[in-house]
Amino acid sequence: MDTEALILLTGFIVLLLLDVPIAVCIGGATVLTIYAIGDVPTGYVVAQRMSTGIASFPLLAIPFFVLSGVLMGEGGMARRLIDFANFLVGGFRGGLCYVNTITCMMFGAVSGSASAAVSSIGGFMIPEMTRKGYGREFSVALTTTSATTGLLIPPSNIMIVYAVVASNVSVAALFVGGVIPGIVIGSLIMFAAWLSNPSRTAVESLDASERPSLWAALIGALPSMLLIVIVLGGILGGVFSATEASAVAVAYALFLGIVVYREIKVGDLHRILLKSVKTTSVVMFLIGASQAMSWALSFEQVPQAVSVALLGISDNPLVTLLIINILLLIVGTFMDMTPAVLIFTPIFLPVVMSSGMDPVHFGVLMIANLCIGLCTPPVGTCLFIGCGVGGTTLAKVIRPLLPIFIAMFIGLMLITYWPALTLWLPRMLGL
Amino acid sequence: MAHAQSIFTRCVLRLVKGLEVLLVVGMAVLVVDVLWGVFSRYVLGEQTRWTEELAVYLLVWISLMGAALTFREKGHLGVDYFVGKLEPSARRLSAIFVEVIVFAFSAFALVHGGWNLVIKTFASGQVLPALNLPMGYVYSVVPISGVVFCLFAFEHLMAYLSVDFDLKTSPQSAEKESD
Repeated sequence: MDTEALILLTGFIVLLLLDVPIAVCIGGATVLTIYAIGDVPTGYVVAQRMSTGIASFPLLAIPFFVLSGVLMGEGGMARRLIDFANFLVGGFRGGLCYVNTITCMMFGAVSGSASAAVSSIGGFMIPEMTRKGYGREFSVALTTTSATTGLLIPPSNIMIVYAVVASNVSVAALFVGGVIPGIVIGSLIMFAAWLSNPSRTAVESLDASERPSLWAALIGALPSMLLIVIVLGGILGGVFSATEASAVAVAYALFLGIVVYREIKVGDLHRILLKSVKTTSVVMFLIGASQAMSWALSFEQVPQAVSVALLGISDNPLVTLLIINILLLIVGTFMDMTPAVLIFTPIFLPVVMSSGMDPVHFGVLMIANLCIGLCTPPVGTCLFIGCGVGGTTLAKVIRPLLPIFIAMFIGLMLITYWPALTLWLPRMLGL
Repeated sequence: MAHAQSIFTRCVLRLVKGLEVLLVVGMAVLVVDVLWGVFSRYVLGEQTRWTEELAVYLLVWISLMGAALTFREKGHLGVDYFVGKLEPSARRLSAIFVEVIVFAFSAFALVHGGWNLVIKTFASGQVLPALNLPMGYVYSVVPISGVVFCLFAFEHLMAYLSVDFDLKTSPQSAEKESD
């Protein structure tokens, strides 16, 4: 580590601790570093890297998936997915737990937003579970963690972000690669719920009368789930690119919300578009800034330095992966997923790739890891929203969260040390 | 002073309204544009040449202008945990520091650096191949959004520095959501 690398690191950390927007932390630290390197017009380079970093066709999928997610979320999908999950698993003892998790997985996947899944599904399921005698805190913990699994199941914006910073990673392979890990973690969460769930003894399962008929459940939920089929099918079948698929998803979500479900009015569109643009711009501004930083990082050979440091601890790739996992878990407790992926992919990916790891595998690992961070204090976006929706406090939710964290961690270890779990499906499909 | 302030506030509000309309229209055009690309390829048999180009550069525009607007609403992601532990007076100081940093970054990198970028690109005569427009127009969003960033940082600063400022009531954090 020489002076410039030190400036980059210290500048970034100081700005970060003072609650400067992370994109500006990245950009500001980069400006200082490039200035210290000298010989280059600093402002010019940063401005150019930021704007050309955003100007990429694959990144266009982000605003579109955000928009289709908002449209689907507001278009009455939540209620219909709950009915569908209720039909599938609502009859078991403690069935509401499984209804909750499965609905969150589907909603999170289609809307592409864990936060939206917590507020939409939690808004309905938490009071419902509480009414049936499950602990309020347990319900909040379950919803919060279940919602993050949707980020692994396609379509997923964070995967597009990863694909772009990792460069030359196929979005299609990531999308497909996330399916099985997402389902595995969801199943482990359900297993933890089954183990720790007071309902095995105390709570009656749902009455048959509350469960929808097969026909009603299917008719309601299938159009929502069809979005995943259209996107994945379209990309895998070579009909359109991931970006085009996301635009088609917007058209489909509009059609569904306005014509089929009739829960979105044309007058709502202004608000929905504005909300989507704002969410998009937060992500894009971060991406632009990190593209500038990655220039400085590679100029300063930071990945090589990190690699040397990690190899100094152990040259066993299994140990390296464990260390990276632990570092990411710590980062995840206080940083959101998008900036964490943007900052740490360029640093860690070269390290693991040099020991032969597939970038698709690492991407899924990283996202699964940071999903846990979305539910941990002190900063956990999903956890905060869950507590808000459920009307409870952070401190009370920690206890019921613990067994679920263990389940998620086991899932993470499975993903880390069993590459086939992630890579089998994309390879089967020749991606 | 009070008069000048109210004129400033009115101008900012008008700018915000204008930005919102611009962004909503931009986003709508983006969707239609990419869909048109797919449509032209499958139905008309030949993909329209300019759709991808327009979409990519429109994305740069709405991203940076949207980022400026979102900054006004405190919608960007930050690590507010440590600052939250501070005394109110120290918190106010750190909030002022944040605005100064954002102002400095925007002025130096976005306005100054972006301006150089625009000038050099126009001078190089680089042209967007399909749209046949000078590339400099694309980059001009960098200094423009930089000015807007500075303006909003200034607006925040004025609020923090005013005598009867109360950290509890203002400014409201927007709902932060990116995942």
